[in-house]
Amino acid sequence: MTTLVHQSEVSSPAPVPAKSLITKLNIVTGFIVGAIFCWGTYYALRAGRDMTDTHNVNKVLIISMFMWSLGFMIGIGALIGPFRWLIGKDLTPEEELYMSGEGQGMKRYFKFCTDHKVVGIQYLVAVMVLLGAGGTMAMMIRTNLARPGSHLVLPQIYNSLVGLHGITMIIAMIIALTGPLGNFILPMMIGARGEAFPRLNAVSFWLLFTAIPVLCSAWFLGGIPTGWSAYAPLSTQAGPGMNAFLVTIIIFAISTAVAGTNITTTVITMRAKGMRFNRVPIFVIGCTISVALAVPAFPTFMAAMVQTGMDRTISTGFFDANVGGTGWLYANLFWIMGHPEVYVILLPGVAALLEMLPVFTRKPLFSFPMAVAGMAGIAGMSALVWAHHMYMSGWMPALNGPFMVTTEFISFPTGLLFLVFVGTLWRSRPWLKFPMLCVYAMMWNLLIGGITGVYVSDVPLDGTLHGSMFVTAHFHYTIMGAALSGAVGAIAYWFPKLSGRMLNERASYISFWFVQIGLNVLFMGMFLVGAEGQARRVANYSEQFAGGNLVSTIGAYSVGVGMLVFLWAIIHSAGKGAIAPANPWGAKTLEWTVPYPAPVENFSEEQVVTSDPYGFGKRVSK
Amino acid sequence: MSSDSLEEMKPTPGQRIRSFVQRKDVMQTFVLGIVITAGFTLMGLYAYPNWMPAVHSKEMHSARLIMTIFTVLSAPIAGLVLAVAVRAFLNMHHGDTPPPDSELSERSNTPAILVWCFSTGAFVVAAIAIGLLAYNSDTNSAVADAPDAITVDVTGAQWAWSFYYPAQNIQTHTLELPSGQPVDFHVKSVDVNHSFWPVQLGVKVDANRIVTTTAETRPTTLGPIDIRCAELCGLNHAVMETSGAVVSASDFANWVNSIKASGGVQQ
Repeated sequence: MTTLVHQSEVSSPAPVPAKSLITKLNIVTGFIVGAIFCWGTYYALRAGRDMTDTHNVNKVLIISMFMWSLGFMIGIGALIGPFRWLIGKDLTPEEELYMSGEGQGMKRYFKFCTDHKVVGIQYLVAVMVLLGAGGTMAMMIRTNLARPGSHLVLPQIYNSLVGLHGITMIIAMIIALTGPLGNFILPMMIGARGEAFPRLNAVSFWLLFTAIPVLCSAWFLGGIPTGWSAYAPLSTQAGPGMNAFLVTIIIFAISTAVAGTNITTTVITMRAKGMRFNRVPIFVIGCTISVALAVPAFPTFMAAMVQTGMDRTISTGFFDANVGGTGWLYANLFWIMGHPEVYVILLPGVAALLEMLPVFTRKPLFSFPMAVAGMAGIAGMSALVWAHHMYMSGWMPALNGPFMVTTEFISFPTGLLFLVFVGTLWRSRPWLKFPMLCVYAMMWNLLIGGITGVYVSDVPLDGTLHGSMFVTAHFHYTIMGAALSGAVGAIAYWFPKLSGRMLNERASYISFWFVQIGLNVLFMGMFLVGAEGQARRVANYSEQFAGGNLVSTIGAYSVGVGMLVFLWAIIHSAGKGAIAPANPWGAKTLEWTVPYPAPVENFSEEQVVTSDPYGFGKRVSK
Repeated sequence: MSSDSLEEMKPTPGQRIRSFVQRKDVMQTFVLGIVITAGFTLMGLYAYPNWMPAVHSKEMHSARLIMTIFTVLSAPIAGLVLAVAVRAFLNMHHGDTPPPDSELSERSNTPAILVWCFSTGAFVVAAIAIGLLAYNSDTNSAVADAPDAITVDVTGAQWAWSFYYPAQNIQTHTLELPSGQPVDFHVKSVDVNHSFWPVQLGVKVDANRIVTTTAETRPTTLGPIDIRCAELCGLNHAVMETSGAVVSASDFANWVNSIKASGGVQQ
């Protein structure tokens, strides 16, 4: 890639006066205004209502939770722009510059900041917190399942742990890469000075942020008994904690739609000159396909949650068979989101590893068109496979055959991605670095997840595997084994760009082996008991499954130790790691030309791209 | 150099293939691939059948067979992928500086892509065909109209299963079925969703309110059955279990008579 200089001088706006309202707003004012809105609404609505009626309780809680979110967004200054529009004005250039966080040091991370790099770090911290919370719940689940008859946690708590672990991890994994790296790195990779909608970008993060306390409140409202799939009618009959779940999903769906629109628009409209689509880095393509897939997928989940909320508050009966509704409507809406969501999670991780594979093998990426076709094919096919989750539901048995065909066909585009990995690795001598180890881990885990995915996509075989621990192990191999390995590898690869320092190598290797050995022990144990016939989501089980469950729990502890080591490595290295060279891996993508710390607008010169970033190998070809 | 002499120096396809397979790295990858393929094949043939529940029905037999076939079919693809990865792993470059650029700068290889697409495509088509044939076989053995079929009305309620045999007019909380006779389960719920799972029979179907769903099976082998709920149904989902058995026709008749003798309701 080459660059040309084309920079017109623009006079800098004057700083915003210190007493201006915008300088006073931050996360603390967000919490204060959010709390006032929430509790004010709560007490105002419950006055004069019969709060022994669960419908009234649900109404008051749901509206109060939304008001918390709205209040927080007002309190942190996210809505200053729209309020100005109401009086025919907009932010001044001075205020825009202030919102970019320039010169504000650490404070900008606690404000409504429009700098995509700040938003990226905010997302990274959120992901780490969510993974920590979800992982802690997973450890509690596995500890309870270490022995049959264990009563470490009560069944009600256990069911809530299962559901809240699930949704916490799903949210964390959906944003694991497109949040931190899709914001921090992606614009630099395409040579852009920012993102298409910087304010919306900040809105997407802070909306997600407001969803976290709402989700946490589920614990104080009695938990959720439904698992993260929240099937009706169990969800419509569940206690008040269910309101927190559905409000979380609705807020998160809006946040995801906003973020997806922003990233997609950025990639389409803000690429550097000369960066044709066949020169766009594969990570950018993976992220774009992922968020573009999320944009239509999540509204169906949101719609299902809106309907659940209406059933719970005004007895609409969408999912109540007694009044003509059906739980199958919910199941369809959920899985129309649910299966694409797997690929929303998986594709950025796979794409990140594809991005770094040529760098570590010093070979060109093998068959870039096949990589794109594989990801696009998976995304397209993923919209046509949802009902394989419902083979055993009794809904439309006549469609089981067609859905079996579409589901098994998705192995083909997945195979194209393996082709690219194999073709690039073929006769290579890769550089032994932690991100490269993650490539191997992802290949193994995705292979196991993929093959077992073929099992569960088969209707006759699903008759015995559906709803068992086998399915749990299968999707954990895919989402945790493959996607999380990709995410961890990507964070490590771009860590020098995020922090200006190198990730501690020794700690990351220790973490790697603890996590990878641990997760294979964990989920192989689960495959065993699942194949034997242990149902999933059970707080207790019979003696025959004792061995496999104990093995799984030992594996889980190994994963837990490994993840703690990785967390330590990130925190320690961010503060005390060795100073990173400008381009430690010798990569050819544009982000490595940006100095650290990166200027607000990334590049001081207009970027002109003349080739793709995979020109490795002795005989370089375009 | 004349074009004729250039033509003479160009290796024939046979020579190219021979020199390709004789290369050390290719041989290493091939051997690794064989070992890994054998490992997956052995797992499919011996591990899964031992892990899976006992076969008490045609459907369970079908499930175990498909699992074995899929594992064996996927073994060569897994073998190739992992062999290339393992060989590259064993050939890693160590150190703080990047390795030199590879001698290979090939960005595509049409024959390799075609072989790969054909292989994975054949796997996909085989998996689809096997699945459809097995599903069709199960569906064709539909028992609803079979003259000797036994109907069992299954009801899920938080958190217990109950069974009603309409022809025999008995109500039970365990499930006994005569071997060799087709069985038609009519499943419903009185509260939330459950999923009726007689493990050793290899069938499963959700229990919904109002709507009745069906599952059919042909018990073939005598032995105990574990009945579980496979859909999270609230507080005590884990203990929503009961037992049952596939028994001989005479034992089934005796069991029915003993329940009738106690008023038609199992104690």
